[in-house]
Amino acid sequence: MITRRAFLGTAGVLVVSVSVPGTSGATSAAGALAPTVFVRVDRRGRVVATVPKPDAGQGVRTMAAVLVAEELAVEVADVALEQAPGDTATYGSQAVANSSSSRQLAEPLRTAAATARCLLVAAAAARWGVPPEECVARAGRVEHPRRKALPYRVLVSEAAALDPATVPVTLTPPERWRLIGRTRAGRADARDIVTGRARYGIDAPPSGSLVAVVARPPWLGALVSSAADAAALAVPGVVAVVRLDPPAAGQGGVAVIASSTAAALRGRDALRVGWTGGTPAADSREWLAGLESALPAAPAADVRRVYRLPLLAHAPMEPMNATAHVTATGAEVWAPTQDPGRVRTQVARQLGLPESAVRVTATLAGGAFGRRIETDPVLEAVACARAAGRPVTVRWTRDDDTRHDSYRPMSVHRLSATLDADGLPVGRSHQVATWPLTVNPAFDNPAIVRLSGNHFPYAVPGDVSVTLRPAPLRTGFWRAVYAGQFGYAEECFLGEVARRGGHDQVDVRRRLLPEDSRLRRVLDVAAERAGRAGSSSRGVACHLDYGSAIAVIADADPGTRRVVRVHAAVDVGVAVHPSGVVAQVEGGVLDALSTVLGAQITVRDGAVVQSSFRDYPWARIGDCPDIDVRLVPSTAPIGGLGELAYPPAAAAIASALAEGGDPVTGMPYGAPVG
Amino acid sequence: MGRYRLHVNGRQRVVDVPGDTPLLWALRDELGLTGTKYGCGVGACGACVSLVDGAAERPCVRTVEESERTRITTIEGLSPRGDHAVQRAWVELDVAQCGYCQPGQIMSAVALLAEHPDPDDAQIEEALRDNVCRCGTYPRIRAAVRRAAELARGER
Repeated sequence: MITRRAFLGTAGVLVVSVSVPGTSGATSAAGALAPTVFVRVDRRGRVVATVPKPDAGQGVRTMAAVLVAEELAVEVADVALEQAPGDTATYGSQAVANSSSSRQLAEPLRTAAATARCLLVAAAAARWGVPPEECVARAGRVEHPRRKALPYRVLVSEAAALDPATVPVTLTPPERWRLIGRTRAGRADARDIVTGRARYGIDAPPSGSLVAVVARPPWLGALVSSAADAAALAVPGVVAVVRLDPPAAGQGGVAVIASSTAAALRGRDALRVGWTGGTPAADSREWLAGLESALPAAPAADVRRVYRLPLLAHAPMEPMNATAHVTATGAEVWAPTQDPGRVRTQVARQLGLPESAVRVTATLAGGAFGRRIETDPVLEAVACARAAGRPVTVRWTRDDDTRHDSYRPMSVHRLSATLDADGLPVGRSHQVATWPLTVNPAFDNPAIVRLSGNHFPYAVPGDVSVTLRPAPLRTGFWRAVYAGQFGYAEECFLGEVARRGGHDQVDVRRRLLPEDSRLRRVLDVAAERAGRAGSSSRGVACHLDYGSAIAVIADADPGTRRVVRVHAAVDVGVAVHPSGVVAQVEGGVLDALSTVLGAQITVRDGAVVQSSFRDYPWARIGDCPDIDVRLVPSTAPIGGLGELAYPPAAAAIASALAEGGDPVTGMPYGAPVG
Repeated sequence: MGRYRLHVNGRQRVVDVPGDTPLLWALRDELGLTGTKYGCGVGACGACVSLVDGAAERPCVRTVEESERTRITTIEGLSPRGDHAVQRAWVELDVAQCGYCQPGQIMSAVALLAEHPDPDDAQIEEALRDNVCRCGTYPRIRAAVRRAAELARGER
């Protein structure tokens, strides 16, 4: 059921709003509110789209521009984009989560723009006294074979006066798409990015804002017992020291507020904080052993393997930050967030204000990967701004960001298979021991964790069991969530079973996938692109999730053990912005490479050991293989994408390294875990 | 505190900060040049790379004091309209995802091309080795550096 509304906005602007509930079919924990989009055409004929969800690199702004340009018959660059403020009452769910941006927004965006086009056409037809079917919209004008074309700007008032219920709306059919799936336009914000004008959260503070940095717990769960702030307050530029109590003011600590970042950092160095409580002896090796001992008894099997997976941090390039200005009657917040609506709700609750008194600006975010669903930096900024009575921006250092994340949980996977005479799997068992996501209580439930992680697509009967142990530190959503662990273990294991049976990695998967399935089609395309493995070590993996299908084939050089080539074939239904779709797959491959090659978080003496990209070593340009991404044509509905490539890419890469080497026993490949 | 004269993007600027203040925070907080990004503060990610006397340097680990009497170019000083060959190549090949690391990547590429107008893969990987991208834009960065070299030579 589509709800659409057209009205004349202020100053004679045609505004169309469209809401389409339940388009995603997703099992999102982020809420099921229907997103609402707004498209307007102003008196100058300018097309403006309001994007409800923020852009953290996933390209939702570009996707919106392409869809609106298609349906309003203009070019992609002609669509001006506005970022919606946090406001779920107006915009519905604004969460960037569960790879849902395109699935939730594509249909309303197209419908809104098509409604505006049909109203403009109807207005022109009425003016000319001709049937609307004889008119077409093209290049920002309505044309008729025997009339002088009318630009949108002269039709806006008449179009806005029409009742949209009386105007039939037709979407442009796929065979007439000029832009969707075809455009060569680049990212919407590309020019601002390359000139340094793009504004991220860290660039958003209004002039005159104070800067806060926070002394954070030196070990997990530690609480402030005392704070000697005289030396900090003596540092030139430092104006206040504020205690932040969890959970109302974030994860807790002591904030030093100063006139500049450098002064705040000096002030923090001078601060003496006493800490109490927590788990100063915690050790991630013991956590891993605890998970392993929590696995139920192993079933009888022909092949068995245990995979141990580490903690992972998100480490977006832009460290956590947020800015707030709190007055007696309201608050304004600027944040690089994955969910501005949630920010608004939480800030209103924190301050005891109605949501209408809180204004949230969602800036561009320098990466997110699940971390920016959490609002702890915002709560800190609000607490600091309330204390200071002036706008305050809270800046996390890289060290803060790495050591106080909502980590991907550790997990231990025991996979077992029974084989037929040919060595093909005919029965399977996947036993998982892991932790819930502490940031969302819904995940303290084995059934929900299983639903998130279990996407086994092959025709092998068996069962998946999940055992949850209490999480010893804060855990949260990390790109692909539990599928990144489950899918990795399943595909690495299938690779090993195939290798033992002497089967070709592609062939064994083809035999276990239904004919005419989307997954088999993408596997065939990837295999054709990859060609014969030759002397390369090869790993293969497939993944079906978010309404999309992907196959990944990775080739490693057996001599150097370097991953040299990755072929991916993906069916996302409709690839609205092809370059952006390819980019998301490339991104998933690089995350996979990074985590397989060595990035992991460990805990010793109660504290996270890693502190920057030096010891949390994300892949560098020299590590990057050639990545070939094919978009497989499809008639499926638009699917999700942002998290799709990570699980199979990780499995394919690890399996390629394992061929001819040591078997995969976990992540990173060939390294001690935990 | 002290008054330090900085030559930034062709202009003399004065900042009134302690001499050991990292150049990064002087550029961002004092001069409002926010195109230079903070990523780690310890010279480990390359998000802040800018040119100091033409060479790719990390303003997060240089002090204001040692930056006097140098010529500093930030992303804002490259070409405000975005028509430097490297910027054009970045847009043409749709390099950016989140975009946050790209000013640093671009400035590293500019320094590379000034020294090696036609770099091979090994030179590109060496020059951009310490520029981390978390989104996975490396394949396009590699291609865009080569494309920028062509554009700089006047090829179409």
